[in-house]
Amino acid sequence: MVHETLAATNAVVTLDVGLPGVVWPWLVTVNMWAKSIGTGVIFMLFYLLKKYPNEAANYRFPITVVSIIFIHLFLLFTLADLHQPFRMWHIFFTPHFTSAITVGAWMATAFVVLLFLLAFLSFIKKDDTAFDKVLLWVTVLAIPVTLYTAALMSQCTAREIWQMPTESAQMILAATLSGSATVLLMDTFMNKLSTEAKRDLSIILAFSALAAFVMYMAELVFGPMKAEEVAAVMGYISNGGEYQAMFWIGQVTAYIVPFVLVVLSIVNKNQNILKLAAILALAGLWIVKHVWLMIPQLLPMS
Amino acid sequence: MKLGFLVDLHLCMGCKGCEIACKVENEVPLSTWRLRVKYVDVGTFPETKRTFTPLRCNHCENAPCVRICPVSALHYIENGIVNIDKERCIGCAGCIMACPYGAIYIDPETQTADKCTYCAHRIASSMMPACVVACPVEANIFGDLEDPTSNISKYIMQHNGDVQVRKPEKGTNPHHYYVGGGNVTLNPLASHRVEGHSLFSKITSKMPLGGH
Repeated sequence: MVHETLAATNAVVTLDVGLPGVVWPWLVTVNMWAKSIGTGVIFMLFYLLKKYPNEAANYRFPITVVSIIFIHLFLLFTLADLHQPFRMWHIFFTPHFTSAITVGAWMATAFVVLLFLLAFLSFIKKDDTAFDKVLLWVTVLAIPVTLYTAALMSQCTAREIWQMPTESAQMILAATLSGSATVLLMDTFMNKLSTEAKRDLSIILAFSALAAFVMYMAELVFGPMKAEEVAAVMGYISNGGEYQAMFWIGQVTAYIVPFVLVVLSIVNKNQNILKLAAILALAGLWIVKHVWLMIPQLLPMS
Repeated sequence: MKLGFLVDLHLCMGCKGCEIACKVENEVPLSTWRLRVKYVDVGTFPETKRTFTPLRCNHCENAPCVRICPVSALHYIENGIVNIDKERCIGCAGCIMACPYGAIYIDPETQTADKCTYCAHRIASSMMPACVVACPVEANIFGDLEDPTSNISKYIMQHNGDVQVRKPEKGTNPHHYYVGGGNVTLNPLASHRVEGHSLFSKITSKMPLGGH
């Protein structure tokens, strides 16, 4: 079969139209990054209130506010990415529930409503018992809100690297990484958490970083064995590809350095370097998400 | 009724008449295309040949664009065509990300998704799609896939074994077939893309070429 291999056929596209290129730009990266923080801090608040109820009590309202801010950032950038943002209401009045976008929009809306209820209970009513009861449901809802982006990406049939089951795990790990990092940073200003609580958060951060890094490496190595499209996309982050430098900057900044810093902080009992680990994890996560969003869009579809 | 398309690549001579007819019929804006013909040169001089592949929406039976559309702007009509309601589209571009064939684009004038509809408006008036009418060699064959007496069904039966779809591994069950296709013509990864061979690749107007 002469047509089966590129080298043998020497096939060159000699006339075609300009291909559209990147369709989902950096706005979508901010969307994913902000949502990770918005739901991640809720996971951390739930954990801290279960394990360290006294010291975590001070974080009920502040974490709720941080979650509200980042979820609204996520919603704002989602809206900004639409070509017809003033038609957003169509999602609620003419919804199509096979779409992860629709399901995600409805869940995110419910999540926002519950966050405002938490803010009301903690700031106005000051009812911690009711807050903790509602928080349970907010935490449960935060799981699908975190995961729906993976479902959306898996519905992008054209983008083979997003079809991996690891995408769901990466979404959860991004939430735990960014949630723990954000709470650690918050504590540098509030200084209410004990050494044990901070150590727990730093372990969550380190474990999330390690697990996410291992999964990306597995996809980089084993992904190309799955399909030629994956191999072609991975070419953009390996062998001198367009996004190779950015990919590795992201991996080092988000995962490798924070992991090492957490280990150093535990070994040396020095919690100051945790701040640096948290900042790097948050900044690096944006880079990692951005690279993963961009590379499959570079591939010609036709 | 299940309408489908078949292109006999043995017949296509790359005249781009279908492209122009589509542009005119559907008022497709500059820099965007519902249908295009891709040229791929194969071989090393002097043993070379040029292939022509018309590319349009595949009107898949299991269409990822329909599934991902949050507002049902992309929807099936009863004859199997995947149609688009531009008034409903919110421009999320999910369909563009989902379509494995790169058949959907953002219309720079309406800022909504758009694509080939097999000229659904013409079919509603019992006319053939504009590209079928324009083709000088009848390389485009259109008809009802469920009717064994239709031209397309007969063509598929006659060329049994040489009828292919693009990216069958995606499980989309396209209603768009090719006769005489090969890896080079149907697989975008089987050919190099060299800069300088794209029409309108450097648009200088303010109209976006997809994305923002």
